[in-house]
Amino acid sequence: MSHAKYSVINTHVHNIDGVAKVTGRATYTFDVNLPGMLHGKILRSPHPHAKILSIDTTRALELPGVKIVVTGKDTLGIKQGIWRRYEELCDEQVLPLEKVRYIGEPVAAVAAITEEIAEAALDLIDVEYEVLPAVYEPLEAIKKEAPTIHEGVERNVNVTRHIEWGDVDEAFEEADYIREDWFKCSGQAHMCMETRAAVSSFTPEGKLTCWASTQSAYYTQGLLAGVLGLREGDVRVLAPYVGGGFGGKFELDAAMFCSAVMSMKLFKPVKVVFSREEDFIASKRRTPMFYYVRTGIKKDGTFCARESRMFSNGGAYTGMGATALYLSGFFHSFPYKWRGYRYDGYRVYTNTLPSTSMRGFGAPQAMFCSEQQIDWICADLGLDPFEVRRKNGHTEGYEVPGQAFIASCGLEQCINEIEKWVKSKGKLPANRGIGISSCGFMSGGIFNWFDSPYSFSSAVVTINVDGTVELHVGCQDIGQGSNTTMAIIAAETLGVKVEDIRVHSGDTAHCPADLGAWGSRQTLMAGNAVKMACEDAKKQLLEFAYAEMGINIVYDLDIKDRWVHIVARPERGLKYEELVKKALRAKDGQRIMGRGYYTPHRKGMISPAYSYMMQAVDAEVDPETGKIKIHEVMTAHDCGQPINQLGLIGQLEGAASMALGYAYLEDMPMEDGKLMNPNLVDYKVIKAPEMPEAGIIEIDTYEPEGPYGAKEAGEGLTNPTAAALGNAIYSAMGIQMKELPITPERVLKALREKKEQEAQKK
Amino acid sequence: MSFKCPACKKEWPNSKQVARHMFGTGDKAHRGWIESQGYSYIELLLAQTTEPGNKSYEVLAELIEKAQDKL
Repeated sequence: MSHAKYSVINTHVHNIDGVAKVTGRATYTFDVNLPGMLHGKILRSPHPHAKILSIDTTRALELPGVKIVVTGKDTLGIKQGIWRRYEELCDEQVLPLEKVRYIGEPVAAVAAITEEIAEAALDLIDVEYEVLPAVYEPLEAIKKEAPTIHEGVERNVNVTRHIEWGDVDEAFEEADYIREDWFKCSGQAHMCMETRAAVSSFTPEGKLTCWASTQSAYYTQGLLAGVLGLREGDVRVLAPYVGGGFGGKFELDAAMFCSAVMSMKLFKPVKVVFSREEDFIASKRRTPMFYYVRTGIKKDGTFCARESRMFSNGGAYTGMGATALYLSGFFHSFPYKWRGYRYDGYRVYTNTLPSTSMRGFGAPQAMFCSEQQIDWICADLGLDPFEVRRKNGHTEGYEVPGQAFIASCGLEQCINEIEKWVKSKGKLPANRGIGISSCGFMSGGIFNWFDSPYSFSSAVVTINVDGTVELHVGCQDIGQGSNTTMAIIAAETLGVKVEDIRVHSGDTAHCPADLGAWGSRQTLMAGNAVKMACEDAKKQLLEFAYAEMGINIVYDLDIKDRWVHIVARPERGLKYEELVKKALRAKDGQRIMGRGYYTPHRKGMISPAYSYMMQAVDAEVDPETGKIKIHEVMTAHDCGQPINQLGLIGQLEGAASMALGYAYLEDMPMEDGKLMNPNLVDYKVIKAPEMPEAGIIEIDTYEPEGPYGAKEAGEGLTNPTAAALGNAIYSAMGIQMKELPITPERVLKALREKKEQEAQKK
Repeated sequence: MSFKCPACKKEWPNSKQVARHMFGTGDKAHRGWIESQGYSYIELLLAQTTEPGNKSYEVLAELIEKAQDKL
C-alpha cells in the first residue's frame, strides 16, 4: 500500500490558481469593490490601559463625506472569543465599552465616502480616558501589586495548562546528570502579504455578506453571527483568495466586525483594510514565552525525566493562546520518550498586543529550549548528539502516555540522513558550525473549542456530463496551495486529471462547513473528506460500469487516467467520459454526486498523526560584529506520502524563511506597551537575496490515518530552525544562546561573557 | 484505588493527577473547593511555578486524599 503507483500524487503539480494570481485576476478582499461602497477606518487606543470615560463623535460626523461613526455603545457589547465552549475565555469586545487594555485596541470606527475622509475623521473623535497603571511582562503581571487587567482574574493568570506522565520525581532520581536552564522566546508578527481586510454588505432582507481575509470562513461566519445577533445561516462569508494567514487570521478581527456593524446600520457595503502599521500593532502575534527546563539523563544518554515551567505573555486577550499554551508543553516533550514528564504552563494577561497561534503553535519556542539544552547536555557529558536523539526518539507504535499514539514515524531515518549530510560537509572553517534539531508536529488538532456541530471536514463532489468535476470543500486556501492538494487527491481517487477538477472553496453559502486552515489539519482531514467523497462518486460510476460492460463479477474495475478498465486486464475498458454520459442517462439525468466527511475519533488527545523531521543549519558568526550568515539549511522530513512535491518544496522554503527570521532577525521590542518597529523598514524579515539554500531529504513512510498515507507538511518545518541555528552558533563559537532572536548584540554579549569566564578560570 | 475530584467527582488513579486536574480546570467550583480548605488557589498555583519542587501539588494531593471518605 505504501508504495502504490499513483498517477497524480507525488508529482510536481503547479498551483491550480497560479495563473489567476500571477495575471492579477485573483480577487482578494482588498480588491473587492461594490456599488455604493463606503470605506472604514478605525480609531485606536494610544494608551496601554485606560478607562474610556466618554467618546464624542460630533465633530467627526460633521465632516462632509462621513456617513457614520460607531463605538462600543453601537454594538451588542458581546465578549467574544474563538474558545466558544468556555465563556471565561471569551474576553474580547472588539469595540470595548469600558476600558482599553493595549495600545492599538479599537475604540471607534468611521465609514466615509473615501478612505482619506474616514482617516481625517478619526482625528475629530474626542475620547476622554482615565489612564490606569499598566503592566507589560508576565512575571511582573503575576505579582500581588500588579494592576488588574480583567476584573475578577486574580494575579492576571488567564489560563493554565498542566501535563504530566510517569513518576517524574522518581525518574529524576535515576538520572546521573541534571541540567536546568531558563530561556526567553520572543514574539513574531505573522507578516501576511495581505493585511487584515473585510468588506461587509448587509441588506434589508437581514442577510449579511462578508468578504474576509480569513483562515476559516466557517469560524468567521459563526463568530460574526454571535457578536451581531444574527443566525449563522444569515451570514455568508466569502474568502476566495487569502494572502497568507500563518495562524493569525482565524479569529474575529476588527476589520470584519467594524465593517459589519457599520454596514448593518447603513444598509450599504463597507470596506475596512488594515494598513501595514495597523497589522503590526493591532492584529495578534506569536506568543512570547519564558521557559524553565530541567532535564535528567543517564550517563549512557538515556533520557529519564523532564520538568518544564512556562510563562507566556498573553497580552490583553485570550485569542488562541490557550491552545498554544497546551501545545507548547506537549511538543516540548517531542520527539522523545520520557519516563517522567511534567509541564506547567501559565498564560498571563499583560497590557500588550495579544498573542495567539502562529505557524508551529507554540512548538518553535518549545524546541528552541529543548533541542539546545539536549546539545549542551551532550557536550557536558561527552555524548554524541545524533546517537542520543536516536536512542530516545519516538518510534512507530509508541504511545505518548495519555496523550497520543504514534502510528507512523520516520524520525530515525531523518536522523540518519542528516548525520550523513553533516559528515559529508567535512571540517568547517573557523567561526562556522552546523547545528541540528529534531522535532515532530501534529496533522490537525482534535480540538473543538469552537463547539462546531459539523464534521471537522466535509467535501461534496459532482461529476458533470463531460467528465469534469466540481469539488466543493470547506477547507481554506490561504496561499499554501490546499485547493491544489484537494484537486490532486480528487484526481487520483476518481482516476482523472488535475485539470478536470474545479475546486470551490471559501464560501459558506456554497461549500460544506470545515474548521479551516490551522494546525496543519487540511491535508489529512479535508484530504480524507475529499477522498471519501470521490470514492463515493467513483463507486456509483463503477456500479454502472459493471452493468454496462457485462463483466464477470469476480473482476475488479478501476479508473486511471480517464480509462475505466478491468484491473486484471487493463486493455479491456471504456473511456471515462463515455461512462459518465451513459451513467447520467441511466440515472434519469441526475449528476453523479459523492459526499465525504471526516472527524477524528479515538485518536488520542492531540492529533490523528504526527510528522517528524531533523534539520541542520550551517551558519557562520562574525566575532567582531556578532553578525550571523546562514549558509544552508537541510531538512530530512517525514510527512508520510507527499501529495505534491512542488507544494512540499514551497512549504519547506517558506518555513525556513519564517523560522530563520524568528531565529535571528524578527523582533517586536516594546516601550511602555508600544511596539517600536511597526513597519517593514525596522521590522527585519529575510529578503529573497538573503535566503540561504534550503534542501529537503524526503523520508518515505505511510500514515494509516492520512489520505494515501499523507500527513502534515509545512507548519512543523518552522519548529526546529531556531534551535538548529542556536546549536550551530554553539558549535562554531561555544556560546549558549538562551534568548530569541539571536541578534548580533546578544552574540557579542555571549562572546564577552565567555571570554570573562575563561579569564576567571585561568 | 482511584481518587475522585472533590469538585466534579471525576476519577484518576492517583491524587496528584486529581490535583493537576483541579489546577488545570480552575473554574469557580474547583477554586471554591480549594479555598474552602483554607488555601488560596492562585497562591498555590503560582508557588508551583515560582518555587523549586512540586510542593503545591503535594499539598493539594494531600487535601484530596483526606477528602476521599466524604465524597
